[in-house]
Amino acid sequence: SQLSNQRAAMPNIKLQSSDNEIFEVELEIAKQSNTIKTMLEDLSVSDDSDDPVPLPNVNAAILKKVIAWCTHHKDDPPPVEEDEYKERRTDDIPTWDLEFMKVDQGTLFEIILASNYLDIKGLLDVACKTVANMIKGKSPEEIRKTFNIKCDFTAEELEQVRKENEWCEEK
Amino acid sequence: MSRRMTVYDITRGIDEYRHGLSDERYESSLTFADLPAKLMIKVFSYLSHSELCRICLVSKRWRELAYDSRLWTNLRLRPEFGGLSVSNVSQFVDLIGSRFSTALRSIDLPCELITVPVLEEIARQCVNLRYMTLDFSKAMQLHDYNDLVDFPANLYYLCVCLSDVIFMEGLMRKIYHCLSTVQVLHLIGTFEQSSEEEEEIYEVINISKIKAHTPNLRVVNLYGVMFVDDSHVELLSFNCVHLECVALNFCIKVTGSSLKNLLEKCKKIKTLLLHHCELVDAHMMAVDWEHSHVKELDITSTELSANCLENVLTRIRSLEYLAVGYCDFFTDAVMEKLMETGNLRELRAIDISYTCNLSEPVIGKFIKRYGPQLLGLMLHGKPLLNEFFWTANIPLLKNIKICTLGQRDGWYFELNTKVHIDQVINAFASHCPKMERLEIQWDVATIRFSHKSGKFIDDIRTRCPFLQSLTLADGGYYEMANSNFERAQRSRVVRTFNRYATSIVQLLSCYGDLLFN
Repeated sequence: SQLSNQRAAMPNIKLQSSDNEIFEVELEIAKQSNTIKTMLEDLSVSDDSDDPVPLPNVNAAILKKVIAWCTHHKDDPPPVEEDEYKERRTDDIPTWDLEFMKVDQGTLFEIILASNYLDIKGLLDVACKTVANMIKGKSPEEIRKTFNIKCDFTAEELEQVRKENEWCEEK
Repeated sequence: MSRRMTVYDITRGIDEYRHGLSDERYESSLTFADLPAKLMIKVFSYLSHSELCRICLVSKRWRELAYDSRLWTNLRLRPEFGGLSVSNVSQFVDLIGSRFSTALRSIDLPCELITVPVLEEIARQCVNLRYMTLDFSKAMQLHDYNDLVDFPANLYYLCVCLSDVIFMEGLMRKIYHCLSTVQVLHLIGTFEQSSEEEEEIYEVINISKIKAHTPNLRVVNLYGVMFVDDSHVELLSFNCVHLECVALNFCIKVTGSSLKNLLEKCKKIKTLLLHHCELVDAHMMAVDWEHSHVKELDITSTELSANCLENVLTRIRSLEYLAVGYCDFFTDAVMEKLMETGNLRELRAIDISYTCNLSEPVIGKFIKRYGPQLLGLMLHGKPLLNEFFWTANIPLLKNIKICTLGQRDGWYFELNTKVHIDQVINAFASHCPKMERLEIQWDVATIRFSHKSGKFIDDIRTRCPFLQSLTLADGGYYEMANSNFERAQRSRVVRTFNRYATSIVQLLSCYGDLLFN
C-alpha cells in the first residue's frame, strides 16, 4: 500500500508473460496476486521503474484470462478462510465466473496452475470448484471419459479397490 | 518481439471473450495428470467422502490421492447428519491407523461405533484429534467399557449427546482423566424429543465428576438436558475459573439461583445463554451484575417481570448481544431506561421479536440511535410494524448482516392494508450492502407483489453480494424469488421458514465453539 500511496491515482504496472508479451495493468488489480504483491515489496521495485515484472510460468493467453478475472473481481472483499469442518460448497460460483470458466479443459487446468503460481486464492478456489463439479455425480467410467483418463487397474485390482471401500455405504 | 498492450486492450479482450468474438481461441493440451498432487487434492477437497470412495476406482493415481489423509481430517459418521454410514466396523478400525491417522482433527461417532476397539485405535493413532462427538441419543444400551484403557487425551472439544435412560458412568469413569485439555464441552439432552407426559428423569451423567477433571473449560453448553437444575450449574463455579460462556438453553429446571455464585467465582464469563429457562425474578436480581463481565445475554422465552428486566439489564455494564424475544415484559419503559443508562453503546445484535409490550415509537427511537451500529436485528412477530415503519428505518441499518421482520399470521393486515414487499426489498438493497441473512415472515395473503417484483429481487441479489439466506413464506413470492436466484446460479439462498430459521446466534463471540451436530 505504501507503493500505491506514493504513486499517482491508478498507477499501472507491467507484467511480462513467458512468451514475452507485455501487459499493462492497474497496480491494485495485479496485487490480487500475492506472488506479484510480494515481489513488489521484496524487490522494492522502484516507483518509476518501467521494467516489466517477469512471470515465466504463465503464457500470454492465460495471463490475459487471469487479468480479466482480477479486473472483474477487483472490488471483492478479501477471501475468508473456509471453515475446514464444514462441507465445502461448489454450488456457489457466481454467474460471471461460471461463464468465465467455460473454456476447454486444458485451459482450465492452466488457470489452476497459474492461479496457484500467482497465489490468487479466489481464482484458484473457483477453478478447483469448477473441476470438482465436473467430477460430482459421475461414475468412475464417466469420469475417465470426461478427463480422458486410462484405467490402469486390472480387473482383480478393481475388485480389490471396491472391497477397500466396503466399509461405508451411502445413505 | 514484445507487443504492448494497454488497459483498453484488455478490457476489449474481455468483451470479445464474453461475446464469443475473440479471434484467437486459445486451446491448451494440458490434462488432469499435469496437475501436481497438491492441486489435485485441492480439487478433491470439494468432494464429499462418499464421492471420494467412488472416484478411487478411476485410476491408480486417483486412488492414491483420494486416500490421502489430508482429505479425511474431518470425519462425519452419523448418516442422519449427512455423514457416512459405516457398514464394516473392523475395516473401519483398520483405516484409523492407515488413512486417517495423525491427520484426523475431528470425528463424530454414532453409538454403535463407540466401542472399545474404535476408541482405543483412535486414541493411539490419531494424536491430533481435537474435536470429538459421541452420540448416544439413539443408543439402546451402553457398550461394555470395562477393558477400555485408552481415550483421546488431547481434545479441545467434546460433545456427548445423551439419551434419557442410559447412564454414562460406565464410559465416563474410564475417560475422566483424559479430559484435562477440553475447553469446550457440550452435553446435549433430549428436550427436543421429549413428550409432554410426565416421565421419570434420570441423572444420566455426573457433572460434578466431569468438572473436577476439566479445569480448562471455557465454553459449557448444556442443551435441553432434562435433569440439569441450578445445583449442577453451581458445580461449574468450582474448579472452572476459565469459563467464558455458559449456555443452558432449554434446561427447563434452571431457575437462576445458581447464577449469583457462578458469576462471582467465574469472573471471565462473558456469555450467558438462558433461552427458555424457568428464570425467577428474585434469583436474577440477586446477581452482582455490576461486577460481572457479562456482555452477551439470551433470556428469550423467559417470564421475568418488567421490574426485574429493568433491574438486571441496566446493571449489566455493557450489553453487546441481547436476546429478549417473547419477553412479554420487555416494555417501553425498560427499553427507555436501557437507552438512558447508555449500556447499549456497544450493542451489536438484539432480538426483540414478539415483544408484545414494546411499541413502535420506542422501537423507532431505538433504531434511530443504535441502528447504524447493529449487525443483527430480530424484529419479527410485531404486527404493527408495517412497510412504512420498515422503509423509514431500514436506511439506518447500514451495517446490518442479519435481520428478521414481518409477522407470520396475516390476520392484522388482511383486515387493513397490505405490505408492498417491493418497497421493503428495495430499501434493503439500497442501504444494507453487508446483508447476509434476511427473513421476511409476512405471508402471501399479506404482501402485495406483481410481475414487476422480479426487478427488485434482481436488485437485492446484485446489491447484497453476501446474502446467503433469504427466508420467505411459502407461496408465489417465494417461488418468484427462488427462481430468480436459481437463474443466477445462486441456489440454496432463498428458502421458506418452514425449513430454516434465521437467528442472530452467529454474532455471538464464541459461536464457532457453540456449534454442535
